[in-house]
Amino acid sequence: MLHIKNLHARVGDKEILKGLTLDINPGEVHAIMGPNGTGKSTLASIIAGKTDYEVTAGEILFHGKNILEMSADERAREGIFLAFQYPVEIPGVSTTNFMKAALNAKRKHQGLEPITAKDFLKLMNEKRQLVELDKSYLSRSINEGFSGGEKKRNEIFQMAMLEPLFSVMDETDSGLDIDALRIVAEGVNKLRNKDNAFLVITHYQRLLNYIVPDFVHVMYDGRIVKTGDKNLALRMEEKGYDWIKEEVGA
Amino acid sequence: MAFTDNIDNTFAALEKDVLTPEREAALASFKALGVPSGRHEEWKYTNIKTKLPEALRLVDGQQSTVNEKTAFNSFENIEGTKLVFVNGSYAPALSAIAAQDGVVAGSLHEQRSQHADLIAKYFNKATDTTSENFAALNTAFAQDGAFIYIKRNVKAAQPVFIIHLYDAAAVDVFTQSRNLIIAEEGAEINIVEDFQNAAGEKFYNHLAEIFVAANAEVNYVTLQLDNKHTTSVNTIDARVAQDARYHITTLTFEGKLVRNNVNAYMDGNGALATLNGLYLGTENNHIDSHILVDHRVPHCDSNQVYKGVLDGESTGVFNGKIFVRKDAQKTNAFQSSKAILLSDEASVNSKPQLEIYADDVKCSHGAAIGQINKNELFYLLARGIDEATARGILTYAYGSSIIADLPLEALGEHLYDRLKERLNITF
Repeated sequence: MLHIKNLHARVGDKEILKGLTLDINPGEVHAIMGPNGTGKSTLASIIAGKTDYEVTAGEILFHGKNILEMSADERAREGIFLAFQYPVEIPGVSTTNFMKAALNAKRKHQGLEPITAKDFLKLMNEKRQLVELDKSYLSRSINEGFSGGEKKRNEIFQMAMLEPLFSVMDETDSGLDIDALRIVAEGVNKLRNKDNAFLVITHYQRLLNYIVPDFVHVMYDGRIVKTGDKNLALRMEEKGYDWIKEEVGA
Repeated sequence: MAFTDNIDNTFAALEKDVLTPEREAALASFKALGVPSGRHEEWKYTNIKTKLPEALRLVDGQQSTVNEKTAFNSFENIEGTKLVFVNGSYAPALSAIAAQDGVVAGSLHEQRSQHADLIAKYFNKATDTTSENFAALNTAFAQDGAFIYIKRNVKAAQPVFIIHLYDAAAVDVFTQSRNLIIAEEGAEINIVEDFQNAAGEKFYNHLAEIFVAANAEVNYVTLQLDNKHTTSVNTIDARVAQDARYHITTLTFEGKLVRNNVNAYMDGNGALATLNGLYLGTENNHIDSHILVDHRVPHCDSNQVYKGVLDGESTGVFNGKIFVRKDAQKTNAFQSSKAILLSDEASVNSKPQLEIYADDVKCSHGAAIGQINKNELFYLLARGIDEATARGILTYAYGSSIIADLPLEALGEHLYDRLKERLNITF
């Protein structure tokens, strides 16, 4: 589904990704762990199409199409979703109107008519319950005055609404208490199916107790340096990152 | 300049009435002041002199061709009196008066005899014809406009709409129209004034005088939404008495050249004025908001929030002056002027001015000119919304707060829809 080959990227003169390769197939959940500043969030941003980075080499194929040639909105309509580490507050636009615009953009891309008001309301009601988001949040401005946990639940709600094929979750667990973490993770688990895939970026193994990954990758200095199963995450939690640094000779 | 040629003859041909002496004085004043050039301090950023064509005349004398109530369509779902003016003249056949006890709403021209005393008492008392060029011109030549009189302690249940239409009969005419609004003590009313020009190139010089007596409240909304080919000067002068509340909101969605002079004179202790505006410029539009709040007495509050959105090669001007006189202690005056530029060719001139002669006051002002927030834009793009729509949504989010504060819910809904239409977004 998603194939990243030898990806190099930089911001200004600073090289951040230094030859990253990753293959993700339908039905899989991949986790990426690694110390701060190693390029995890940069990878998430580049997949989603943020233009602050310059890709200097490599490619990202999504269903065979090179997404580096697509704008962020085209990628999203193709089925790529980024759950933001820091969801943006936008006063003056309700989550309802936002989701209506996003969903209809996707439907238009698929050659479908805009969703009817009735179906839209039904869909919203169904999906918000996945992450236990109160109805009142939907008529409020996007993320305005939301707590950290509410913002992350809103991200997963949006994911549920748009039903992406591939989702990147960029440190969705940061700033969440244990209850919010459970709600978010259960929401994601309900969305998992054989056709979609997830890339979960996290610092901590904790989240992976709830969203159990098929593969765990350790990222260091702009590359994936180790890949294993969920037990690798446990080892990381136990032993920290230093042994990885030693192993890769940093 | 053509309309100033033979100005005495044009004036002499006008019907004589109780206001003729006032008009003569205003004419003399205008002849001395003339049309301001770019060298005039208050017109530095808006060189109107070059934008008024040679062929312009002050009086049309043509019959209007508007004969259907199309003008109501914008507000058909909102109850209230609809006063319709075509090329500045009252059109009774197009108007609809919703009778309300204690509220007189009609044509200034028609009400001259019945309310001669009131008109003599108030006409030209809120406006400055000695130094304001277009106020002088308007006072000399305007024959008609809305006359709205709300009697003591009457809380008008329904709004009054003043709808200006322009049609092809008024080609090359510099239409002069004039409102007089009198809210007596304790009276309350909502007024919506809409300028609709679907008739090609038009020029008008409109002036509204608003008197808000003690404890009264006037909420006034000016709409310039269908304005693409309009060159206009619109002056709104209000006198706000003790403990009175005056709210003026101006929405300008386009305009070839728009100059809005919004002047509030705080005349009585405890008075409140809010002056809000949203202006959107596109192509070669030029939109100038010229605001004055004159704090003359103690304990008054004023708040101004202006937001601009400039696209294409449009220019915006915000000139906001807060004047706090020596006696106006305990004044609270606030001003915020913001603008976002959507293109590299768009520009805005923002000039906040505070002149404070009292020592115990709270005054603040802020001006910000920026662009669409990149992080907000990316958030919308990342959900599959195309860039043009995303920019429209963010512009809507930015501008709609000005509509959110309006008093009539149905009007708000209508204006939200108009704003979405203007920004080419749907949801």
